[in-house]
Amino acid sequence: MLGFGAVRLRTDMNRLLSLLFHQGVLDEQFLQLQHLQDQTSPNFVSDVVTIYFQESEKQLRNLRNLLLDREIWDYVKLGIHLNQLMGSSSSIGAKRMRNICAVFRAAVEQSNRPACIRALEVLEHEYCYLKNKLHELFQMEQQSVLGDAVRYPGVVHQL
Amino acid sequence: MAEGINGFSSPRADVFPAGLRVLVVDDDPTWLKILEKMLKKCSYEVTTCGLAIEALDLLRERKDGFDIVISDVNMPDMDGFKLLEHVGLEMDLPVIMMSVDGETSRVMRGVQHGACDYLLKPIRMKELRNIWQHVYRKKIHEVRDTESHEGLEEILMMRNISEQSDDGYLFCGGDMTPGKKRKDAEHNYNDKDFLDHSSIKKARVVWTVDLHQKFVKAVNHIGFEKVGPKKILDLMNVPWLTRENVASHLQKYRLYLTRLQKDDLKSTDSTKMQQNEANSRIHEVDLKGTTTTSLQTIESKKILTGYAAKGGGGGGGHHKASSSNSNIGISNSFGSTQYPRFNSTVPSDQYSWNTGFTEFQFKQEQHNQQFHVENGFTNLGLPTTLQQQNQVNSINNLMPRFQPPDPWTLKDDTSINNLELSSILLQSQSQQQHSSSTINLDMQKKSGVPDFNDPEVSPSLYDALRFDYDYPPDSLEYPVIDQGLFII
Repeated sequence: MLGFGAVRLRTDMNRLLSLLFHQGVLDEQFLQLQHLQDQTSPNFVSDVVTIYFQESEKQLRNLRNLLLDREIWDYVKLGIHLNQLMGSSSSIGAKRMRNICAVFRAAVEQSNRPACIRALEVLEHEYCYLKNKLHELFQMEQQSVLGDAVRYPGVVHQL
Repeated sequence: MAEGINGFSSPRADVFPAGLRVLVVDDDPTWLKILEKMLKKCSYEVTTCGLAIEALDLLRERKDGFDIVISDVNMPDMDGFKLLEHVGLEMDLPVIMMSVDGETSRVMRGVQHGACDYLLKPIRMKELRNIWQHVYRKKIHEVRDTESHEGLEEILMMRNISEQSDDGYLFCGGDMTPGKKRKDAEHNYNDKDFLDHSSIKKARVVWTVDLHQKFVKAVNHIGFEKVGPKKILDLMNVPWLTRENVASHLQKYRLYLTRLQKDDLKSTDSTKMQQNEANSRIHEVDLKGTTTTSLQTIESKKILTGYAAKGGGGGGGHHKASSSNSNIGISNSFGSTQYPRFNSTVPSDQYSWNTGFTEFQFKQEQHNQQFHVENGFTNLGLPTTLQQQNQVNSINNLMPRFQPPDPWTLKDDTSINNLELSSILLQSQSQQQHSSSTINLDMQKKSGVPDFNDPEVSPSLYDALRFDYDYPPDSLEYPVIDQGLFII
């Protein structure tokens, strides 16, 4: 019944998380974030991730602008934005994002134009994947909290 | 985005390190949020800041309002290293640098500019728990400097506190043991002493722009050759300033000048011209302390203009170089020879000797294309990246030059395949760095000229491999920022 649904949600969440870990999309830093979440900030992880999404999308837009429809590239600015994106990604444990940024950065140093364009594509693709998965995760979390609230009104469950 | 208690908050000596007042500066809002949370969990008092300039303003407003500053290296409005120097100079607080980039040359720069620690992102809680040691260490060193009995008791009191806590975790955990009441009584007694002694102890001198101007004027008036703290003090005519204040400031000033010189040599673009430019600029800065256009051009050539900063116990500024450098995680040869040309007692004729010497070395560089271990001169930084590349190649073949990735030109891979490739590329890169850094240290130990080489090799070698880091963001769109030492 409702009980089973909640358990299933929880299992699904765990499964998704371990899948993401296994794929190397997330790393230990994400766990650190979860540990930081507590009574005083019950939505800490989703808050941080939301900020991350905002920042990343900004940086990705910047990168795209710098790369496309331009004859001459500003490698320096590219490097700066990449650094910022890399730093942000490391903050939530987005391991694959971070690695791709590193490769992108290497391509920038080499002034390797096709490699840079390729790297940007991969980066954007990776970002979409990450965002979708994390949204999924948070939705499941929301649902399980709601489900608990319905079953035990007045009791707040921490995840 | 700054939060905090109304007005000043004073340090609570009885529950140190809980309540440590930390200022976090980072342009990345994600990290700001995470660090804030982590530090709060350590029971520290956190203020966050997104801009370096904002941070400096905050620090200036609330003198003695913070115990320690944590800052990212890459900030949009000001280079993190510059901020570091400013804080060390004006407020004399320990500063911890952070970055996602852990390249040895960067870390070394951080230490050179006076950082008392350099953390790599992602930062773990346990690293943050221990930052109080830098505050404590600085206190101890300051106390030693004042050489007073009161200081000794202060140390003893602090030691009492540290004995109470297990690695500082006791207070951070927030749990007080049942024996707390008794300990508190003891501490209250010590507290009173502490407060009394702190009022006797000299207040920390803040070298404002005006004060520093007076200082520099006095120095130039006397002539750098014959300068001494007593003479400067007399000339400055500032009643509340003591001879010791001036002496330590003079030390810092000398170190700052040395560092400027060294950085002149290290820059990769032009050659002697630049050096001369920088030399003349030093004097300009001294005299005016305000913007000059040459300052800006120097900035764009990656020379630091910051002042010699005091890191937490680090830096050659204090007399007992060996003890204060133990916290620099590099080999002793680095630490004690970081400023090899300068002791606190050295007369200025050595200063001029040093400039002569480095010029000589510089000429040598232009002839030497190959890297010789025996010839210690070549350890000095080379002017061009080309030379550096030759150096790198000739050292050994363990470090293959980074190959342009062929796989990039291949067909449409799935993202997973590219990632595997990218991780392979990454691994080889990090291996390169790792092996080259160890080789560096070995070679330097072998070389027969220990004095001049150490801080310069690694940065220049890595410059060859990592081009982007040398580009100072502040020279791009913010020329107005670099307005000299103090005026921001």
